Amino acid sequence: MSKLVRIALPVLTCLMGVSILVRADQPTTAPAGVISEKSREFWCFRPVTNPSLPVVQDASWCRNPVDRFVLSKLEEQHLRPAPPATKIELVRRVYFDVTGLPPSPVQIKAFVSDPAPDAYERLVDQLLASPHFGERAAQHWLDVVRYAETEGFEYDRHLPDAWRYRDYVVSSFNNDKPFDRFVTEQIAGDEIAPGNPECETAAIFHRLGPVRRNAGNPEVAASRNEVLTERTDIIGAAFLGLTIGCARCHDHKFDPILQKDYYRLQAYLSATEEHDILLAPDEEKKEWQRKTLAINNKIKALQARAKSATGSDATRLKEEIETLEDSLPANPATIPGIGNDFAHRAEIHVLHRGDWEKKLDLVGPRPPTVLVSDDLPELAADDPAPRTQLARWLTDPHNPLTPRVIVNRLWQDHFGRGIVNTANNFGINGERPTHPELLDFLANQLLQNGWRLKPLHRLILLSNAYRQSSRSTIEQSAMRIDPEDRLLWRFPKRRLSAEEIRDAMLAATGQLNPKIGGPSVMLPVDPELTQQLYKPSQWQVSSNLEDQHRRSIYLIAKRNLRLPFMDSFDQPALTTSCSRRESSTHAPQALELLNGRLANELALALAARLEQDCGHDRAQIIEKAYQLTLGRSPTDKERGLAAQFLKDQPLKEFALALFNLNGFLYVQ
Amino acid sequence: MCNDHPAHSRPTRNRREFIRDGLCGFGSIALASLLHQQQARASSFGALSSRSSHFAPKAKSVIFLFMAGGPSHIETFDPKPLLNQLHGQKRPKEFGETKYQFIKSTARLLGTKRTFKKHGQSGLDISDLFPHTAQHADKLAVIRSCYADVVVHSAAQYQLFTGRIVPGFPSMGSWVTYGLGSDSDSLPGYVVMPDPHGGLEGGQPIFANGFLPAAYQPTVFRPGDHPVLNLQNPSDVSPAQRRKTLDLIRELNQASPDPLDEEFSARMNAYDLAFKMQSESPKLFDLSKEPQETLDLYGIGTEPTHDYGRRCLMARKLIESGVRFTCVVSGGGPGKLQWDAHDDIEENHLRKSAETDKPVAGLLADLERRGLLDSTLVLWGGEFGRSPEAESGKGRDHHNQGFSMWMAGGGIKGGQAVGATDALGLRAIESPYHIRDIHTTILHQLGLDQNQLTYPHLGRNERLTFVEGKVIHQIV
Repeated sequence: MSKLVRIALPVLTCLMGVSILVRADQPTTAPAGVISEKSREFWCFRPVTNPSLPVVQDASWCRNPVDRFVLSKLEEQHLRPAPPATKIELVRRVYFDVTGLPPSPVQIKAFVSDPAPDAYERLVDQLLASPHFGERAAQHWLDVVRYAETEGFEYDRHLPDAWRYRDYVVSSFNNDKPFDRFVTEQIAGDEIAPGNPECETAAIFHRLGPVRRNAGNPEVAASRNEVLTERTDIIGAAFLGLTIGCARCHDHKFDPILQKDYYRLQAYLSATEEHDILLAPDEEKKEWQRKTLAINNKIKALQARAKSATGSDATRLKEEIETLEDSLPANPATIPGIGNDFAHRAEIHVLHRGDWEKKLDLVGPRPPTVLVSDDLPELAADDPAPRTQLARWLTDPHNPLTPRVIVNRLWQDHFGRGIVNTANNFGINGERPTHPELLDFLANQLLQNGWRLKPLHRLILLSNAYRQSSRSTIEQSAMRIDPEDRLLWRFPKRRLSAEEIRDAMLAATGQLNPKIGGPSVMLPVDPELTQQLYKPSQWQVSSNLEDQHRRSIYLIAKRNLRLPFMDSFDQPALTTSCSRRESSTHAPQALELLNGRLANELALALAARLEQDCGHDRAQIIEKAYQLTLGRSPTDKERGLAAQFLKDQPLKEFALALFNLNGFLYVQ
Repeated sequence: MCNDHPAHSRPTRNRREFIRDGLCGFGSIALASLLHQQQARASSFGALSSRSSHFAPKAKSVIFLFMAGGPSHIETFDPKPLLNQLHGQKRPKEFGETKYQFIKSTARLLGTKRTFKKHGQSGLDISDLFPHTAQHADKLAVIRSCYADVVVHSAAQYQLFTGRIVPGFPSMGSWVTYGLGSDSDSLPGYVVMPDPHGGLEGGQPIFANGFLPAAYQPTVFRPGDHPVLNLQNPSDVSPAQRRKTLDLIRELNQASPDPLDEEFSARMNAYDLAFKMQSESPKLFDLSKEPQETLDLYGIGTEPTHDYGRRCLMARKLIESGVRFTCVVSGGGPGKLQWDAHDDIEENHLRKSAETDKPVAGLLADLERRGLLDSTLVLWGGEFGRSPEAESGKGRDHHNQGFSMWMAGGGIKGGQAVGATDALGLRAIESPYHIRDIHTTILHQLGLDQNQLTYPHLGRNERLTFVEGKVIHQIV
């Protein structure tokens, strides 16, 4: 690799558009290599406190401690919460929020007509116990760990059975696995329980990043360095809420993270290697190995010949090799896991400007300096379970970041924004918490609950803050004081995510296949899309129609082929951690919902269902259609407009119109 | 796509913002608003010195003629007589070391069979692969000293479009649209026309909007008469029928409990725009009404130029209608259908240049006679160049340390070659220009300052140029 390459490569992810900020006199951690006491005092590095409940004027409004914290901030600004949401609004809100699915007309009716004072509480408990809860919670986590089932780059190779990680996450949330355990299994599942499929599956976590594999002269050390970089940075973002990757080339420009800290974190992973675990019975495994070996040998022979071949010979050989590659037998059941290979452990050095060829100090595993005492020694280089040690530190009850970061994500899941708005960045460039005491209160609750998340979900969902209307009576004045509604003077309405829109359309038609788990599904797509793949044969459409109607979380997450519908409604790009979804508004979304194949097919299906359920009774059709899509009865005016339309227009167009309504696309 | 930034810089949440910046592809963003937005963002980060404002643009739009796979500089715009003299020998030691993707250090130098002539008043060297383009020599500024960081397609394609060698960052088309919006209210702001023969190694992420909001995503044209996805009504729905459905959507939205909500209004505006796009743009996509003389100019209707000619003419029409950034890709599918001449440089480049030379020249001529060239920056090039050494006898491997691109129009001073590679074309040695410098220059011609065009992502203010690039002052 040339000098130029060597200089430029390491700049990979570190340098950033911060020059404006660098020029300003930002507080930095200088002098280099030292963490000042002041830095240690930055809010997120301080121990989690145990705040007392604030005193509020209108204590009667408060249903649980969460409300005390929320109301106290509102009162400070002379604001007040909105009135309670109606039961109709609340039921749609909480179903989407907790399960990602709309309530059925029957479920709506059951809740609305239940006069018991604890009706809502029972509904929340029922939803948290639903297997769909785990699917919804998993989607949030999969965004954070930039879950995809392919490696990206040129080959976009499919990781064998990567979906097992998705299922692991779904079932972990459904079983309310303690979060410390959840972290530990992902970081070190293979170390703590070798041979245990669940723990080995959790550790697929380390395999989820994009991987560059290339033909030709491989730079082994450079590739290793790229892989380690991916694996280190995601730990910082997902668990610690720190942009630790910024310290790869130099001490962090803003946060008290030393360059050495970055490589010490990486050193926990120095022996971590890919390790596919075949789950199939021995016979099947042997058969697969035999077939694979035979074809691979043929490929190798052809590759050897291709080296010296020229012109059309070379082209022909290349094609033959490709044909052979396509004929390789499908993987038997596999966990694309990881394992320690101590014999080949890479020594981890601090790298000058992140350049893998410019090695500085040799370092061993140790947590970031700002979070430990200065004189804490590094872990021994030959520690037999280094990632277990890392997990132990991450989940130590005294670690101030891990619990704060996860409870903040939870809050964001329910209110759209976190208490810290920048959920992956609690550092100096991130935003400060709007309710720091509430954040610590929740973090404490988490620890007191033995790291279980469901009690926290429950606490939040049962609060009056959550149950208030999205329509405020003091909007005008509140908009002046807090235009972003960060203090929650009303419930923030939100547009459904890409996955929810598709799932809700499917649910309305009655075609949604509620099956949980299993291999991912590839939908039929325009040939133009698959043709743009390096290997179009990678896209194998699932022939089973019922599979095509499964929830969106089971659609394959392929880095080089993302579905235009999902793309257009802000599904993340699957390449870097996504801490919060965008919610943009633009014309191609309208084109998708008006002219797209998905919307039109499902509108047709909805029309068929309405006809089947209601015959030709127009009033009944309109009522049912509104229930199925907007989760409420139409108003008289809406009824009139719809009836007028249906006099001479096709039912399918009416169904399509409903999918396009704000009332369908948004949750109040 | 993904949001980890302060609330005040969030994209498009209400009607006002929708009009300001959310139309993005389909409306225009006032630069002043953008600056205001950035200043607001900056202020929340603390102290910040005063920022220079963006400046008057020379170009309004960009057409990138992307020669995918990596055309050889040695066969095109960078004559190397010494290479022919040393044909069949090993590279002399004084030229230094390099690493290729496939060929080894034992490889022998490969002379070129192309001949170079000086063209135009400027006497610019252009090879006989491009007789038509050569007629526009005085418009071209050839940058002979381009270099990039990686020698493999996917990563190099990411760098060429996004400034990074990893996927997930916004493409320059998305950045430019984010910065300037589009001058058209019925067309997307950023269009990619891929080669109908297939995809590229880097796949979708090459052109994508990365972490910028979905509003800045590329519209990737499909081959055939209906290039934009979802722009036609489904076959069983007439336009009149669809108009009625749209009216119903509007009426039902207005009848809902929150008809005045800003975000809801923004969404209704998006439907109006969608309808406008749908009704107006098909006229633009229809090339059958073009005069025969224009079709001939681009080589449309004759092989092998028909396809690329069609797409170049489409690019001109898009630019004319206010589209901000258009990329016309030559090459796709298997390497031999790209400029990726591993096996036989002669066969490959004769074929690829025959497909593209006349269309490119036609585009330059057409832009000029319509008065569009001054405001349209045309960029030509691939993700890297090719090796001076032979691969498999008569091919050339990838090579990223010295290669040529050219720019024309959009305020670029043509009729010159800037920078230089060494005597073998191995390495850029005189005024080397990184891909970042190409990006910086494009932004500069559009009146955009690389340091001000930023977007917060995961704790950083990201920008197209990554670490700062420099404007290629010799050509602007």
